[in-house]
Amino acid sequence: MLLIDCPFCGPRNESEFSFGGPALTPRPSDPAAVSDADWVDWLTVPPNPMGLVEERWWHARGCGSWLTICRHTVTHEITEVRLGR
Amino acid sequence: MPYDVTITRLPLRALFDLKGTATALAAWCGTALPPFPDRPNSRMEAAGRGLCWTGPDRWLLMAALAEEATLAKALRSEQAPDDLSVTLVSDTLTFFAVTGPDATEVMAVVTPLDLHPDIFPQDGAAWTEAFGIRSATRRIAAGYEIAVDRSYADWFEESLRRAST
Ligand SMILES: [Zn+2]
Repeated sequence: MLLIDCPFCGPRNESEFSFGGPALTPRPSDPAAVSDADWVDWLTVPPNPMGLVEERWWHARGCGSWLTICRHTVTHEITEVRLGR
Repeated sequence: MPYDVTITRLPLRALFDLKGTATALAAWCGTALPPFPDRPNSRMEAAGRGLCWTGPDRWLLMAALAEEATLAKALRSEQAPDDLSVTLVSDTLTFFAVTGPDATEVMAVVTPLDLHPDIFPQDGAAWTEAFGIRSATRRIAAGYEIAVDRSYADWFEESLRRAST
């Protein structure tokens, strides 16, 4: 179980949160200028390195905030938590 | 061995969900509200009305049910400006008191919330989990008060009783 240090609430169990998917790079401002392959990559292929990923989590059973966390996919260590994006 | 606790289902109370900055809400609600809590997940009380700071720009106002109409009139939810919201939610939550010498022991079974007084002091009030569902939990004089969505109340009361025996 992850222990997520919500900036508003302090450390809380992962079970209080809902996973909101990977924190994607910003949406391309002009999708028409992006190749099909790059667009599909952006839309459907989440980054999955052996290392740090940025993810969105919603503190649904707590303060209601959307958080962005930086989590190591191997150790699950959370190195950063911030409110919003 | 049964725990030395008392589980009490509490009567309905007046509840208002408030969203907006403290400044905007104070300007709109005026003297109807107690002073705003200055620490996240804490509560201020004045004249029998309690105000909990439950999230960024999120507040929960509680009062006796008899005050509901007076508060609704004072808070004028329908006319609230766009940068805040005031919603009457009295019938959404059922409150339970868990009191007695072993209240903290039972709460350790009920919720993963850290109840150490350094983390959750006497004025502590927060949304968290209780038996896996969303609950509003706060300290009261003789123990704790837990509110859950009303549709879960019967199951929740039974679960509290099982956890205490
Ligand atoms: Zn939180």
